[in-house]
Amino acid sequence: MKVTYKWLKDFVDIEDSAQILAEKLTSAGFEVEELIYQNEHLHDVKVGKIVKIEKHPAADKLQVCKVDLGGEFVQIITSATNIFEGAVVPVSLPGADLVNGVKIQKSKLRGVDSDGMFCSGEELGIDDSYVEGASVNGILILPENFTLGENIDVALGLDDVILDIGITPNRPDCMSVIGIAREVCAIYGKKFKEPSLDYSTSQDKVTDYISVERKSDACPRYMAAVVKNVKIAKSPDFIRRRLFAVGIKSISTIVDLTNYVLIEMGQPMHAFDKKMIEGDKIVIRQANEGERLEVLNHNAYSLSPSDLVIADAKKAMVIAGVIGGMGSCITDETKDTVIESAVFDLKSIRLTSKKIGVRTDSSARYEKGVYFSGAENGIKRFLHFVSALKLGDICRGLIDEHLPAPKARVAICEVKEIDDILGVKIPEKEMSRILNGLGIETTIEGGKITALVPPYREDIENAYDLAEEIIRIYGYDVYDKSETKLFENSTVTEGGLDPRTALERKLKNSLMHNGFFEALNFSICPPDICEKLNISDNRRFMVRIANPISEEVACLRSAMAHSLLSNVAYNESVGNKNINLFEAGRTYQPKSLPMAELPVETNYIALVSTEMDFAEFKACVLAMLAETGLKYKLVRSKEGYLHPGISADIVDDEGEVYGSFGRIHPIVAKNYDISKNTCYGEVNVDKILPFAEKKFNVKPVSKFPIVERDLAVVVKEEISNGDLMAAIKSACGKLFYEVRLFDIYRSASLGQGVKSMAYNIKLSDENKTLTDEEVTDVMARVLKALKFRYGASLR
Amino acid sequence: MIEKLQKIKENASAELSGVSDKATLAAYKVKFLGKQGALTEVLRGMREVSPEDRPKVGALVNEIRDAIESAVAAKEREFERAELEKELASSFIDISEPSKGHEKGALHPLSRVYETLIDACVNIGFKVVDGPEVELDYYNFEALNVPKNHPARDMQDTFFISDNLLLRSQTSSVQARAMKSLTPPFKIISPGRVYRNDSDATHSPVFHQMEGLVVDENVSMADLKSMLTSLMRKTFGENTELRFRPSFFPFTEPSVEVDVTCPTCHGEGCRICKGTGFLELLGAGIVNPKVLEMGGIDSKKYRGFAFGFGVDRVAMVKDGIGDIRSMFRNDIRFLKQMK
Repeated sequence: MKVTYKWLKDFVDIEDSAQILAEKLTSAGFEVEELIYQNEHLHDVKVGKIVKIEKHPAADKLQVCKVDLGGEFVQIITSATNIFEGAVVPVSLPGADLVNGVKIQKSKLRGVDSDGMFCSGEELGIDDSYVEGASVNGILILPENFTLGENIDVALGLDDVILDIGITPNRPDCMSVIGIAREVCAIYGKKFKEPSLDYSTSQDKVTDYISVERKSDACPRYMAAVVKNVKIAKSPDFIRRRLFAVGIKSISTIVDLTNYVLIEMGQPMHAFDKKMIEGDKIVIRQANEGERLEVLNHNAYSLSPSDLVIADAKKAMVIAGVIGGMGSCITDETKDTVIESAVFDLKSIRLTSKKIGVRTDSSARYEKGVYFSGAENGIKRFLHFVSALKLGDICRGLIDEHLPAPKARVAICEVKEIDDILGVKIPEKEMSRILNGLGIETTIEGGKITALVPPYREDIENAYDLAEEIIRIYGYDVYDKSETKLFENSTVTEGGLDPRTALERKLKNSLMHNGFFEALNFSICPPDICEKLNISDNRRFMVRIANPISEEVACLRSAMAHSLLSNVAYNESVGNKNINLFEAGRTYQPKSLPMAELPVETNYIALVSTEMDFAEFKACVLAMLAETGLKYKLVRSKEGYLHPGISADIVDDEGEVYGSFGRIHPIVAKNYDISKNTCYGEVNVDKILPFAEKKFNVKPVSKFPIVERDLAVVVKEEISNGDLMAAIKSACGKLFYEVRLFDIYRSASLGQGVKSMAYNIKLSDENKTLTDEEVTDVMARVLKALKFRYGASLR
Repeated sequence: MIEKLQKIKENASAELSGVSDKATLAAYKVKFLGKQGALTEVLRGMREVSPEDRPKVGALVNEIRDAIESAVAAKEREFERAELEKELASSFIDISEPSKGHEKGALHPLSRVYETLIDACVNIGFKVVDGPEVELDYYNFEALNVPKNHPARDMQDTFFISDNLLLRSQTSSVQARAMKSLTPPFKIISPGRVYRNDSDATHSPVFHQMEGLVVDENVSMADLKSMLTSLMRKTFGENTELRFRPSFFPFTEPSVEVDVTCPTCHGEGCRICKGTGFLELLGAGIVNPKVLEMGGIDSKKYRGFAFGFGVDRVAMVKDGIGDIRSMFRNDIRFLKQMK
């Protein structure tokens, strides 16, 4: 919201500079985002009159001008063609720093001195809507009555300061000059100077010219006035200058005035050309299905019954609160005008504005809320200016169709409640001063606050709201000195991590100690990741965003692998090698499509390595699992993105899969354009959660020595180490202590398709030293078992 | 006899200085203590000593033998030590050679900051709660005092899945859920990922928040201040100060923005804090009683305060990360700096 320093001064006496005012507004909750000095780039530019023009002695296209700056004379060389002797023009002198970045110095042009430069409208930051002739391609020719030598900012009225203020959604009343002015009053303890709403009328009665029918309660109040014989002309300087300052283009008297009142009072206004209103009747109704209206932005919109329109007896004229129609707008030929000032339901305006994609100064206010009595103040302020500026004949009376007026609200609370909320004591006198200063009529008696809430403060209901009003004006710096100790007023509670975070930390630490770096990826991804990952199950059905930024980020990942494999691709593309990454993150899986309920969100830890082989990678996965109490075994994986022969699933005895890992499928490596030997793995953290705690059952250490034997057997290639070890363990029975594979050997002499597996077997008995016979016996049993189950032969 | 012994003693003492290595030491030992050695020879002549002199001579022999033996032992230790020194001097390795096994990896800067913040909160009685990222409109907005079509919805651009499902735009949704299941008094934090439909140089469509909620019988803005001061001091250092500025959030009343002493310049004013000495880091306030009521909590009996902030920003400030996008590119050259 842009307001100007001078405009505010219409309603409150301000002694501080704009800079200090801005700081105070900011600390009261109205953040001044930008402070714009209109004349920032207008210093050293003066009004001058060209008294003589001569040709430049050495250049055809240049002219040498003698310029009168009010008794002082300078010489300016110019190539401009629209100048003439007697023209009054802006002259920038040495030191000037124009808005387009040009800095003026004394110079010589082809041997002749020039003391400065004439300026165009553009170089002063203005156009035709501000000063006629400012948009021409050439020097701005000023009116002859300008005072020579005067600074151009004063001459053009560009000496105001604009405050661009961020208005929070709870304060729609402050989307106006008077709203901000009221805040300034409260801050400085000044009295608010009420805007004048007086006007004089003619003898004609408004009801003789127009009638209004309010057919929808989406319009709680509709007020109308009629102004006859309007003067459609250029607006007075103060209106054009102020509209220019807040970024609104000046058009003509009546239209400018609707905008002026909108900015000043926060009440949107609309003006109709009366003769375009068929049947002299205004109807506020829902649009008919498919009803079309061409509006002021030159587009036509097809409306529906959810849209509110202002119509005449036959057709829609205005999309209510949003934008006016072409057919009924004010033109240079308009003679009589109907002025509208209304209240519309904020949801209705918001929906229509969003639907047709049109946002105006009017809709921006309506969708945040315009108050009941604001409509009346707005139309009266408008008529005040019509009357004061003699812009037409105002008919007697106002049309006012409305729902019952909202009742005045009173907020009542204890002073103690305020004290308890704030935790600091603010004197009752200060509370009263602040609230009254904000226009909230407040009395404090016997520790009780009674506050009459003004109609424009719909946000105030209870002690919390009043506490906020009091503290923001009193100043939050009171807390800078607060001595309150940590939780001195609250109950002791027991803190703690949630089980998932606790488990994740353990798993992440394990990976980190094994050389992995943590990556973090967004969970939004393109829709085709399952194709890239060679996934053909339900994960193809993904959560899709209805309003994505782009198709690249239109879905939520249903598989973790996409993220880390993309990270590998990125790293390899910039020449990084030996990439070891992990990520703790989520996947998202719809329960059904289209989605009617929340999807299943699953927490994973995924890891990837381009450095490790399968065995090393496996060690890292298993080290991570060793942090938990999960009992698992490894089986061949069927995961689509893993190499079918070099991958494993982590499963329990029931076959429940807790994770997978292995070398990635060559097709996937190709799809992501990454190293073929990349290993990827993931574990489902949520599934492991019940086994997060590691349980121990310690047995006493045997007092008797451990006996070791080595055994090498020849088996077929397809016999797995896991199976052989399990068989050895089982054959050793209760004497089993440990078995370790220490060598795998293949050679031509052994034969094709076979391998020699050498195991170190440790045996132990809790109660006695094992004898040679016992050990020999066990080893014979082992060999027999391996022969019987896996066709093994002793090497 | 005694003279002979004195002579041996003198000789032994004099010759000791000539013993320079193990070989000469062995010869020395033989010469004085061996079977054919000087002392043995003297002992053989004991018969010639008068019985009354024998004890005296015997004592002297023992004394001399002990002296020589201990001198020899000392020499032996000296030579062994010298030998070890020599060996040690010649056996060394290049300690800068790479170690075996994998080098340690590192956590992401964001995780580290999360751990610091979470641990600081857990230590003063906060429980960590978690919730879904795809959320019902109700928990993300309505339960937080933002009805459908409310102007406050403009404060955030939201990603929608359907009319009623969205990607949470704030982790306050977790608190809205938690209020329904917890009985006051409680203190909770909800760290997590949130989504907003804007993306430019300073905004990322996905970012990370941590929000906290305290509900108790008599907590105030002053308690909020002391709690946040404690948390920020643990994060940025003991000299960190906080400043409140008025603001607006639909779920708190009064609402404040919290400025924190710039950790880069410690309040002196620098490029990061645009010369103000403070960084705008948190939003906070007293929980709007309507929000408590919607969460099933009696707002007559209980009051709450809440706070929230962007963790990405905290990590960036803490670790001097200039570009938010670099945090999510996962370039190992970036991540390795966190070792």
